[in-house]
Amino acid sequence: MPIRQLIKISIKALQTNKSRSLLTALGVIIGVASVILLISVGSGLKGYITNQMQDMGSNLIMVMPGDIDLDDVSMGGSAMSSAFSSMATSKLKLSDAHEIEKGILQIQDAVAMVMASSPARYEGESVLVQIIGTTENYINIREPEFAKGSFFVESEVNSGRKVAVLGHKVAEDLFGEKDSIGEKVKLGEYRYLIMGVMEEKGGQGSMSPDDKVFVPITTAQRQFNQDNISIIFAQVKSSDEVSSTVSLVEGVLKRRLKEEDFTVLDQKEILSTVSSILDTLTVALGGIAAISLLVGGIGIMNIMLVSVTERTHEIGLRKALGATPEVILTQFLIEAVFLSVGGGIIGIVLGSGGSLILNMFMPTTVTLWSVILAFVVSATVGIVFGIAPARKASQLSPIEALRYE
Amino acid sequence: MTKNNGILSLENIFKIYKMDGISVKALNGVTLTVKKGEFVSIVGPSGSGKSTLMHIIGCLDIPTSGKVTLEHHEISRLSENSLAKIRNKKIGFVFQQFNLLARTSALENVSLPLFYNGTTDSDIREKAKKALETVDLGDRLEHHPNQLSGGQQQRVAIARALVTDPAIILADEPTGNLDSKSGLEIMGVLKQLHKQGRTVVVVTHDSKIASQAQRTIKLGDGRIVN
Repeated sequence: MPIRQLIKISIKALQTNKSRSLLTALGVIIGVASVILLISVGSGLKGYITNQMQDMGSNLIMVMPGDIDLDDVSMGGSAMSSAFSSMATSKLKLSDAHEIEKGILQIQDAVAMVMASSPARYEGESVLVQIIGTTENYINIREPEFAKGSFFVESEVNSGRKVAVLGHKVAEDLFGEKDSIGEKVKLGEYRYLIMGVMEEKGGQGSMSPDDKVFVPITTAQRQFNQDNISIIFAQVKSSDEVSSTVSLVEGVLKRRLKEEDFTVLDQKEILSTVSSILDTLTVALGGIAAISLLVGGIGIMNIMLVSVTERTHEIGLRKALGATPEVILTQFLIEAVFLSVGGGIIGIVLGSGGSLILNMFMPTTVTLWSVILAFVVSATVGIVFGIAPARKASQLSPIEALRYE
Repeated sequence: MTKNNGILSLENIFKIYKMDGISVKALNGVTLTVKKGEFVSIVGPSGSGKSTLMHIIGCLDIPTSGKVTLEHHEISRLSENSLAKIRNKKIGFVFQQFNLLARTSALENVSLPLFYNGTTDSDIREKAKKALETVDLGDRLEHHPNQLSGGQQQRVAIARALVTDPAIILADEPTGNLDSKSGLEIMGVLKQLHKQGRTVVVVTHDSKIASQAQRTIKLGDGRIVN
C-alpha cells in the first residue's frame, strides 16, 4: 500500500467532515498561535531593551552607589530595589567623577548624575517631570539631538546657573506650539531659563529623555539639598579596555571612599543580566502557552476516538476490502497528524499575524525558532495523541465492525 | 465428493465460539466444494451457521478446525495480514446494506479495493469505470450514494466486488434491503456475471432467491442438510 494513496484516503476522510476537522484542529490552532504570540512578546521586549541599552552608547561603565550583586538581581530582583534605595544614601561625590575622568587615561568622559522628581510649571500648565542634574559632557555620551537651542556648557555647570534643557514631551506638554527658548519654567520653587529642547527620541521609561528635564548638576544638588550623586556613567576609549578599566575605576573609588559602598558595572554585564531575566520570562510565557497546545492534542485524541467509534462500519468495510491493520493504523495516524500539523500551520499564520498587529502597540518579534518549535511540537502532538485512536481502529474485528450499527 | 478440482473447498470445518464458558458450535463439520464458474447459493434459517460459513469463505474469519482451500492455497491458518491481502485479491464482497461510503462518488467507492493493492492512479480510474459500465452505471460515475436508488447502490457495490477481478463473488443477502423489483434486478446482474464465467456464491435465508442459483446448499444447525 503506497503511502501516497493513504494520504489521499486520509485527506478525503477529513474533507467529508470539514467542520468537525476544523473544530478538532482549533485546539492546536489556538495553542500554536499563543505560543508564537507570547514568545514574540518576550523576544520583542528583549530586543527593545537591548537596543535601548546599546543606544546609551558603547563602551559604557556605570558606577552605582551600594553593593549590588548582579546574580541576585537576575535570580529574584530584591537587589534591584536595594540598588535604588542606596542611591539616596550614596557616598559618591561629583569630585569622584572628575577624578575618574582626569585620573584614568582610558576614560574619555565621566558623567555624574543626580535624579529627582519635581513638578514643572509654566503659566498654569503643570506636569510632574524627572529632573536629571548632570554635567556638560552628558552630550558626549548620549549624543542627543536638539530641536531648538543647545545644552548647557561647563561654565554654567561650574557656576550653578538655573538653566534647563527640556525633553521633547515636557516641552510639548507645557508650551504646546509655542517657542519655549528664553522662557522660564518653574521647577519646584525655582525658575529656570530654558536654553534647549531635545528632539523626540521615542520609547518610554528610564532610558528615554522625552519626559525629563536636564539641569546643571551643581544647581540640582543645591536645590534638592544633595551633597552626593546618584550615578556615574563613564565612557571607555576602546572596547578592548572595558574590563581592565572597570578595575581601575574600582581602585580609584576604593582609595577615595575607603569602603566598598559602590558597584562598577560594564554595559555587557548589565546586558547579559537583563537578557537572562527576559529569556526566563520568554520561556515562562511559552511554557504557559504550550499547556494549551497539550490540551489541543488531547482534543484531537478525543475527537479521533469518537471518530473511530462513529466510523466503525467504514473501518469494517475497509478491512473486508483488504485493508490490513497497519494500513488502518497509518490512515488514522495520518488523519491525526494532518489535523495537528494543519492546525499548527494555521496557528503559525494567526500567531505571526497577531504579533504583527500587537507590534503597533508594543515591541514584538516572531522568532524562527519559535515557529520551528511550534511546528515540531504540533506534529509530535498529532503522532502521540493519534496513536491510541489509530490502534483502536486497527484492532477492530472486521466482522464485529461490519455488524456495528 | 470431488475435493481438489474446485476453486474453493471446505473440508470438515468446525467453528466453535466460547460464550460465558459455554461452547457454541456454529459450524459442525461442513464439507463443500465450489467449482470455477459455478453459481451456488447457501440457504438456511437464522442460527443455521450461514453467516459464520460466509465469514470463513470470505476470509474474514478462520475455522476452529478443518481445512479451507481457495485456488489451491490453504487459507485456514493464515495471519490477519495475509487474510486481508487474500480478501483484497480473491474475494468480492456484496453486502446486504450495500456498505458504500457516504459523500463519496460511485467511482471512488468502486476504486476503494484498488487503493489497497498498489494499483496506479490511471489504472484505478480505468478499472473502476469499466466495472461500473459492466453493471450499467457508466453514466453515474460521479453520483453519490444518496443520489442513487437502492438497486443502483447495490449495483455500485457489485461493481466494487468486480473491480479486483476476484476468484469468488460472495454476496450476503444481496436483496435483503431491496424491494422485490430491485431484488430481481440484482439477481439478474449476478446471473449475468455467472454467464460471463464468474464464480458467484450467494448467502441468503430466502429460498426463492436461493433457487435462482445453479446449485443450492442447505444449512441447518451448523451442518449441510440436503
